[in-house]
Amino acid sequence: MAKYVCSVCGYIYDEAKGIPEEGIASGTTWEELPEDWVCPLCGAEKSEFEKQGESVAPLEKKPISAIESSVDMREMSPLEVSALCTNLARGCEKQYKPEEEAIFKELSEYFKTASAPAKDPDYNQLIALVEKDLEEGFPNANSAASNAKDRGALRALVWSEKVTRIQKSILARYEKEGDKILENTGIYVCTICGFIYIGDTLPEICPVCKVPNWKFEKIEGRE
Amino acid sequence: MGDKYAVRNIRLCTKDCLCLYVCPTGATDTENSIIDVDKCIGCGDCADACPSGAISMVPKEYPKQQDKTDSAVNALKALMRSKSKQENIAAGLSGKLAYAIEKSNRIMAEDIIREAGYMLPQSENTKEFLQSLLDKDYPERFPKDAVKKLLESLNKNEEDKTMNSNKTQENLMAAFAGESQANRKYLAYAAKAEKDGKKNAAKLFKAAAQAETYHALKEYELAGKVGTTEENIKDGIAGETYEFTEMYPEFIKDAEAEGNKAAVRAFTFAKEAEEVHAKLYKDALENIDETEEVFYYLCPVCGNIEKSRPDKCSICGVPGDKFIKF
Repeated sequence: MAKYVCSVCGYIYDEAKGIPEEGIASGTTWEELPEDWVCPLCGAEKSEFEKQGESVAPLEKKPISAIESSVDMREMSPLEVSALCTNLARGCEKQYKPEEEAIFKELSEYFKTASAPAKDPDYNQLIALVEKDLEEGFPNANSAASNAKDRGALRALVWSEKVTRIQKSILARYEKEGDKILENTGIYVCTICGFIYIGDTLPEICPVCKVPNWKFEKIEGRE
Repeated sequence: MGDKYAVRNIRLCTKDCLCLYVCPTGATDTENSIIDVDKCIGCGDCADACPSGAISMVPKEYPKQQDKTDSAVNALKALMRSKSKQENIAAGLSGKLAYAIEKSNRIMAEDIIREAGYMLPQSENTKEFLQSLLDKDYPERFPKDAVKKLLESLNKNEEDKTMNSNKTQENLMAAFAGESQANRKYLAYAAKAEKDGKKNAAKLFKAAAQAETYHALKEYELAGKVGTTEENIKDGIAGETYEFTEMYPEFIKDAEAEGNKAAVRAFTFAKEAEEVHAKLYKDALENIDETEEVFYYLCPVCGNIEKSRPDKCSICGVPGDKFIKF
């Protein structure tokens, strides 16, 4: 009997034990688990698991591709400026500077409103961008951050890459099952790292950034 | 005022209220639970006393942000751009899942841009960003005044620092004055000790006097008061001129009025010597580039300075052979 480890949150599926409380009898092998089974802790798909003790194939070293030169990174889009402002608002909040926090929030609202809505948005666009991030964006950024020995950037990348993989799992499930995946169940977002949890029994701490679960926000529909 | 102040995390506060008892200024006792920054003196007693660890001391001034490399910043910004796009797409879709994805992407974008050089609201990057907003022409509803206010508030620490440096400037000059006086005072004591045959005491006074000179010189230099030699000569002229035209004439009048003849004599000698000094400085300034060596002869009694050894001092009449050659 083997054990399988979730590469996103570290949850271990033990074939010998199964998960009796979820109707998976002890002795259920990895192969016997249904294909649409997901990590009970973080919702990652089966493909995100690795067999414990099995040497993981060495990470393919991807060359750093130059950032598209047509993209002028100095000029941020209004929505990016808005995110920069909410980030700085958080910085002020952490430093107990409520007045400065309020102004950064006001600015972020201004730029969010000034942002043009996406043209004909659909889920396939999201899936495509998530995949592009995982194939290009993260390897590039990880490589640049490693070269710079920038552990702060690596930390942010570890968190957001995991969250992106969870999003990929959720989007794949949504593609197959549609709105059914949210039937009779809650959906939460970790306000620290963006981890999305679908279910009603919150993990004690966020499986990605390890913050206590009171920092999760229950999504109730649009404001 | 300390360099830190106390803040309370209201979620951790268990209302043991020890902070109210230990605070020397009442800063912790407020109706809105936020510690009054204006009253807080940064002593840290409340943070030490709090049984639930709800109070922490935060610095008034944060250290410089960590340096970032251009390639890491560019890669992070590219990723952030993608997260922002996804936020926008999700914002256009209905349902809770889309809303969750929208939020999730915003949180990732925030964290990624934070690590791309925007960690601290007080950083130069942030200030440049805010300034760039002010430099652009946005529609009227853009909260320009709020941004100005924000920039001012973020620059406040810098101003405090400048104020502190003004204080230090004052202190350097006060220290220079004190050390200079101590030097002359110890030399006076050393002369007295020598006269009394207390050789060891005299030695100590002389050594201490020299030590104060070292202090004074360092402090004067740090205060940025030592200029070019030309500037310094001009300063000498100004100082001597003030002394012989204003200061000593007043002092002599006062001493005469009080009948203190010894003081009248000392002030008069000094006044006349200062006048000579001012004239010598003027000559020196005119001949600043002269390379031929000049000798100065100093009268040890009144402080008169001559350019050749005189028969006797023109101010106090002391014989010329007492003059000290420089």
